[in-house]
Amino acid sequence: MTFYEKQTDPSSPMHWLGDMQADYLYPNGKAGDKLFKHIKENDTFLASKCINCSKIFFPPRLYCEDCFVEILEKDWFEIPSTGKIRLHTIVTINTYGEKLNEPKMIALIDIDNTDGALLGIIKTDNIDENLIGRKVEAVFKSKNQREGTLKDILYFKMR
Amino acid sequence: MNRVAVIGGGMTLFRRRLLETGKELSFLAAKMAMEDSGIEKKDLDMVVMGSAPDAFDGIHMKGENLLDGAAATNKPYVRLFNGGGTGVFAPIAGWWHVASGVADTVLVVCEEKMSSCFPHPQTAFQHIWDPILDRPLHPNLVWLFAMEMNRYMTMHNIKKEDIALVAVKNKRNAVGHPSAQLPDEKITVEDVLNSEIMAWPVQRLDISPPSDGASALILCSEDRAKQYTDDPIFIDGVGWNIDSTMWTNRDLYFPRYVANAAKMAYKMADIHDPKKEIDFAEPYDPFDYKELHHLEGLLLCDKGEAPILTREGVTQRDGKLPVCPSGGLLGVGNPIAATMGQKVCELYWQLSGKAGKRQIPTDPQVGVGQAWGDIMQMGTVIVMRRG
Repeated sequence: MTFYEKQTDPSSPMHWLGDMQADYLYPNGKAGDKLFKHIKENDTFLASKCINCSKIFFPPRLYCEDCFVEILEKDWFEIPSTGKIRLHTIVTINTYGEKLNEPKMIALIDIDNTDGALLGIIKTDNIDENLIGRKVEAVFKSKNQREGTLKDILYFKMR
Repeated sequence: MNRVAVIGGGMTLFRRRLLETGKELSFLAAKMAMEDSGIEKKDLDMVVMGSAPDAFDGIHMKGENLLDGAAATNKPYVRLFNGGGTGVFAPIAGWWHVASGVADTVLVVCEEKMSSCFPHPQTAFQHIWDPILDRPLHPNLVWLFAMEMNRYMTMHNIKKEDIALVAVKNKRNAVGHPSAQLPDEKITVEDVLNSEIMAWPVQRLDISPPSDGASALILCSEDRAKQYTDDPIFIDGVGWNIDSTMWTNRDLYFPRYVANAAKMAYKMADIHDPKKEIDFAEPYDPFDYKELHHLEGLLLCDKGEAPILTREGVTQRDGKLPVCPSGGLLGVGNPIAATMGQKVCELYWQLSGKAGKRQIPTDPQVGVGQAWGDIMQMGTVIVMRRG
């Protein structure tokens, strides 16, 4: 068996430069479509409830994954866009290893009146404070700028 | 080895674009199969998912993404994929879960959402090729299959008209299918021959469309099946086989990998003369010539004989050997893995008399389904039988 020497210059062997086209268009899905159409026009959220186990899904779903039953239109309802921070981290460098201009707090937020949670950015004046358990509320883009995606929620602020 | 029964099937609409997410499509198909069989999530021991390249959905590890829509949360779960072969290979995997005795009741779900890949799923297929020997010429599947079709036509002196008859038959058969994307009761051979030439000899109507959709099956042991039905349908033979990825070194007019897979399945099902013992077939038909190619690979006729049987009407729904009574991929659509709906669910529906307007009138007892995938090298075969 012959082992070739380790290559430190990737372009030194004869090669062909390939690329990988991968562009995607993701519709929001049936449940997602209903949620994001609502968020586009309102500063509140929607949830859906399984009539079998009473679990309240946020983000709302078409079905309960535990009972495996469909959740019907009548079991959807409006909820406030508020919650509590379950856990958080403070990000200081990006995916490419570059330092961010200012640290960013990312949190998982338990949404009030539901069994669900949402990933969000927390805006706070005191980023070094432990904010677990603190009450927050969503801050949305102005209505004329909303596009029906998760990015319509700008961040969460302290209540 | 335990005998394995099929007791439920389900299939969503097949369309070029559906609003539902992959999870939602999986849920809808799985729920239909569970309602058809009377099985609930708590009765399922294990779940098998079939779905083609992650590149279609643009979600790496999409098996994990799909599982909550496939009743698999907190259950033993596996996702399989061998390109177009998946639609028959996923139920084969479900079969070995039960045949081995590891599970009593298994849900098999096959999902594909090709429309996410934008602007066209062909862009995902650009990366299946060998990066050194194929990709610098930017091959796509249409021109590869055009060459294979030409080879098949040349070897057996087959006319384009005879191949077009397959597209006409299948798109007409699809008229009775509630999921069908491209049914057409008025289509003629002339329509196919006059459609846009894409890569000669392949024309627009020779090819199945890209689709979104899902399908599902409930498999269980013979003992368990008796609790749910008096008339179970059994999977009596399975086979799979793969040829070299060096496609340039193959003859390309006879799919020997399909023949190898078919021999394996027939032997298991104790079938000695498939031409006499198989009542109907669902060979994989993403292109019209592939139905013919695969009928020969399945040893249901001699090499070069499939176009003659087609011309003589033998493969019509009321013929001696009905072929693609579902409407196939050409008529119902081609969400890669989810074509389990035409290739395996259809065997179950036909054998249990549940095929509605598509029902074969001659009371079939034994059917064979087949899929084909990877770089035209994978054959997956299933033989199903009544009672």
